[in-house]
Amino acid sequence: MNQGRHDPHDHPHDDRHSEISQSAHPGYFDVMETAVRELLVEKRLIGPGEIRRQIEVLDSRTPALGSKVVARAWVDPGFRARLLANGRSACEELGISFYDDTQLIVLENTDKVHNLIVCTLCSCYPRPVLGLPPDWYKLKPYRARAVSEPRAVLAEFGTVIPADVEILVSDSTAMVRYLVLPKRPEGTREYTEEQLAGLVTRDAMIGVAVIDVETSGVPQ
Amino acid sequence: MQNESRATAKATPGPVAALGEEPVFRAGDAVRILTRSPIGHYRVPTYVRGKKGRVEAVIQPAGIDNEEEAYGRNAGSKLHYYRIAIPMTEIWSDYSGSPLDALRIEVFESWLERS
Amino acid sequence: MNDSEHLTRRLPNDIGGLPAERIQRTEHDLEPWEKRCHALADVLDFHKIINTEEKRRGVEALGAEMVGKLTYYERWITAFANILFQKGILTPRELARKMDEVEARSVSNPP
Repeated sequence: MNQGRHDPHDHPHDDRHSEISQSAHPGYFDVMETAVRELLVEKRLIGPGEIRRQIEVLDSRTPALGSKVVARAWVDPGFRARLLANGRSACEELGISFYDDTQLIVLENTDKVHNLIVCTLCSCYPRPVLGLPPDWYKLKPYRARAVSEPRAVLAEFGTVIPADVEILVSDSTAMVRYLVLPKRPEGTREYTEEQLAGLVTRDAMIGVAVIDVETSGVPQ
Repeated sequence: MQNESRATAKATPGPVAALGEEPVFRAGDAVRILTRSPIGHYRVPTYVRGKKGRVEAVIQPAGIDNEEEAYGRNAGSKLHYYRIAIPMTEIWSDYSGSPLDALRIEVFESWLERS
Repeated sequence: MNDSEHLTRRLPNDIGGLPAERIQRTEHDLEPWEKRCHALADVLDFHKIINTEEKRRGVEALGAEMVGKLTYYERWITAFANILFQKGILTPRELARKMDEVEARSVSNPP
C-alpha cells in the first residue's frame, strides 16, 4: 500500500524509488491519482491529452531557463533594466511563457544587498523559469527558519554574507513569484553568454548560494 | 449645441475609477498589517500580523481576495496586493542578524491600515 | 490562548518563524504519479475546476496530523478528492469503485 511513498526525512538521497515503482503494484495514492484523473476525463471535464501535455510543459521548465535569463541580464544592460522593471515580460521576450498566471519580480543582488526567497505558507516558486522546487524548499526547516534566522539558514548552505550586506527575505504569499539575479562573479569579463549561463546555479537563483567562479568548473 | 458640448468638455472631471479599482496605498506609505484571525484560509502569515512597514510597490494587476478565492470565487471585484517592506527587528524582538536585514511580503489591501 | 482555539486559529501550514530543525538538503526526482498529480493540479486550475487557492485550502483542511505525515503529493491528491466531493463533481462511491478498478487492472496487467 505504501510503496509509492517517499518521505525525504527518511531517505535524504535515496534513489531506490524508481526501482520500487518498476517492480511493485502502484501505491494507494498512485491509484487514487489515476482514478480521479480517469473519472474527470470520462465526465469530459478535462481532455484526455491535457495531463500529458502539461507534463511536457513541466519537463521543459528547468533551472537552465533561469540561467539563460541571468546570463542575458549580465551581458545586456537594456535587458537587465527591463527584467528588473517587469520580470515576466522580460522572460517572455526570451520565449519563457508564464503558464500559471503568476507575476515575477527579479531581485538583484549587489555589494550591499543579498536576496533570499521562501514561501512560508506553502511552496510558491518561480516554476515557469526554474521548474519544480527541491524538497528542502517545501519542508518545514527552510520555510520556518528562512524568515526568522536567514543568516543561520544561509550558513547551513555554506553561504556566509558579511554583516554590512543587507539580507532581504521575500516571502511569496499570493500572485508574485521571485527570482534572484545573482552577482556576476569576478574574473568573467571574457566569458561568452553561454559560458556565463553555465555558472548560474538553481540555488543561486533562490538566494541560498552565491556564484563562485573558482568552483564552477567552466573553462576560461 | 456647440456651446453645450464646450460646456460639457469643460465640466467633465475625467474618467472616474470604480471603487477598489485604484490602489489606496502608494509606494513609500507607512502601513501596519492588521491583526485579525480569519479561520479556514488566509495568506497573511501569523508572524507579520500587527507589524509596521512601508509600501515598496503596488503589485499589478489587481487580484481577487485569496481568502474568498479559496472557496471558489474565481471572478468579481478585485483589490491590489502591495509589496511591503518590514525590518526584521520589527518582526523578531530577538533578531540576531544585522539590523539592516528586512522582509518583503505581499499583502492584500484589506489587510493594511495607515500607520 | 488554549490549545483547541489555537488549532482553529493557526492553520497547520502557517509555520513562518516557528522553531525547526537544521536544513537537510533533500531532493528527489518526482515519481511518475507525483508528476501526473502536479500536472493534474495545473489543469484543474486552468479550468477553474479547483483553483490554486482551493487546492491550498483543501490541503490545510486535512489538519495538522495529515499535513505532517502525508507526503506533498499525497496531500494534494487527497485534497482534490475531498474538494471534488464537496463540489458534487465526484461521489465517494464512484471514486472507491474506480480505485478498485484501477487496482484490479494493475494486478492483471503488472507494469
